[in-house]
Amino acid sequence: MIEAQTLTKRYGAKTAVDSVSFTVRPGRVTGFLGPNGAGKSTTMRMIMGLDNPSGGQVTINGRPYAKHKAPLHEVGALLDAKAVHTKRSAYNHLRAMAATHGIPNSRVNEVIELTGLGAVAKKRVGGFSLGMGQRLGIAVALLGDPQTVILDEPVNGLDPEGVQWVRHLARDLAAEGRTVFLSSHLMSEMALTADHLIVIGRGRIIADAPIQDIIDGQSKARVRVRADRPQDLLNPLAGDGVSSQILEPELIEITGVDPRRIAETAQRTGVLVYELTPLQLSLEDAYMQLTQAEVEYQSHSLSPTTPEATQITIPVEGRRP
Amino acid sequence: MSAHTTTSPSPTKNAPGPRAGSGITFSRVLRSEWIKVTTVRSTVILIASTVLVMVGLAVLAAWGYAQLAQSINDGSLPADLQAQGPGSPAVDALTTPSSGLIFGQLLIASLAVVLIASEWATGMIRSTMVAVPGRTPALLAKTVVAAAVAFLVGLLSAMVSYLIAQPILGSQDLDFALTEEGVLASIINTGTFLALVAVISMSLGTLLRNTAGGVVTAVGIFFVLPVILQLLSGLAAWIPDAARFLPGEAGNKMAAVTAAEDALTQLQGGLVMGAWALAFLVAALIATKKRDV
Repeated sequence: MIEAQTLTKRYGAKTAVDSVSFTVRPGRVTGFLGPNGAGKSTTMRMIMGLDNPSGGQVTINGRPYAKHKAPLHEVGALLDAKAVHTKRSAYNHLRAMAATHGIPNSRVNEVIELTGLGAVAKKRVGGFSLGMGQRLGIAVALLGDPQTVILDEPVNGLDPEGVQWVRHLARDLAAEGRTVFLSSHLMSEMALTADHLIVIGRGRIIADAPIQDIIDGQSKARVRVRADRPQDLLNPLAGDGVSSQILEPELIEITGVDPRRIAETAQRTGVLVYELTPLQLSLEDAYMQLTQAEVEYQSHSLSPTTPEATQITIPVEGRRP
Repeated sequence: MSAHTTTSPSPTKNAPGPRAGSGITFSRVLRSEWIKVTTVRSTVILIASTVLVMVGLAVLAAWGYAQLAQSINDGSLPADLQAQGPGSPAVDALTTPSSGLIFGQLLIASLAVVLIASEWATGMIRSTMVAVPGRTPALLAKTVVAAAVAFLVGLLSAMVSYLIAQPILGSQDLDFALTEEGVLASIINTGTFLALVAVISMSLGTLLRNTAGGVVTAVGIFFVLPVILQLLSGLAAWIPDAARFLPGEAGNKMAAVTAAEDALTQLQGGLVMGAWALAFLVAALIATKKRDV
């Protein structure tokens, strides 16, 4: 269990993390989502006692990280895959980390096996690829068999097989009753792994809810309708907060009206409706909507594109393999 | 990579939670720091070369004293040297075991700076601070390990130097016993001096977080500062007085066999340098505790 209370970090005039409060509970995967520069890493570094908060506090299992007698058994963290001496081998790095807690070499070998580092464990970390570095970081995080696991962008640089392995690992750890806190700037990654989502933008929490709620909360009802006379259907529906798009002569998308009202209107006006499909907003879209105002670095496309062309909706039910 | 990861992702079958009896203790942190020192090849090479360089310098010194003594004995000493008064080779020869210090302190200073600054350079420091979030035990353990290594390097070098030098000095009857006054103390203090150099240098590396900066500053303190003060000594009477209290100067007096008049005694030298080391260490500990890493 991780509890942050009005946690703040300022660097000079810039506020990286602005009075955030949240709780990360055991038994589920909590995603920490935000665009680059939103304050995810800074928050995680404060959790692990690397950065001193400018205000507020954060505790793990009831006390600040540094106050634990056996911190590696409480929390395992991958914050930065490069936090390793490049001239030391992975095996010796793990051995040195383990020694601080009297963790036996047998556990070092276990985590090497678990993270698939066996073939490169005796090689210098300096020659590691980003993916191998991530695996070593995860090996360190698991060393103390901790109750809480914190992983900052764990799938960065991993091959597709490695990405899937991290997803399963996170889900298995949560299933064992552990607290799993996972950051990413990729909504699609969160959609596949997380149960609960904390969204951060420009140092402020903009959403803290189950994934499903975030999707529901952000999306207005959007309905795809096939009808013989779309215009006759749209005219009576027009009103505040209602918008529509004619995609094909007999295919329209209506936003802001629930499906029942459309059906009622169709019945009243005598318009033939042969498809009425409620659409769900993709998590990606929901995320974009949430963070649009909060993005630190906004990119602009070079050529004007129609927003419809880039909007791909995936049904959320199928988000987990 | 993909071939190695067919293992079950489940990290353990046991219920999660801390295991009884395991946690951070200072001796465990010491052990971790010892593993770190011994598992980077360049560090081990630097330690070994320090011993070689120190012994080599001592052998050269012994040979020099023997040559000088021979020249005096057969009256072939060059006139200009004779005018200076060559001093007594028999007295100078006693300093042979510690004569490697001049370069030894430079190498040990580099070693100690590298041990901590390389952690900052590579990002390893974050792993260290996560494993030992109290931070003070981590830096203390690293300092203890560096000081112990430096002490052993100094002691071993001085002892080996003594043994190798005896036959060389013996050719001119300059050889001496360990039991002669001040000799054994000088050999032990060669180690003590290097241990204190290590403490000061590691503190500098911690404060500056930069290998090059740390090494340059350490060289500045041990080599350049005394020279500057010597150049300025004519300006005011207090300057040469103050120069005696520089860490390097005081430390050299500690490792000396006999104390010159007006100079610090071995004990005073040791206390002065110890005070410097303590001051640097406290500054480094405070900085480490407060800093974001």
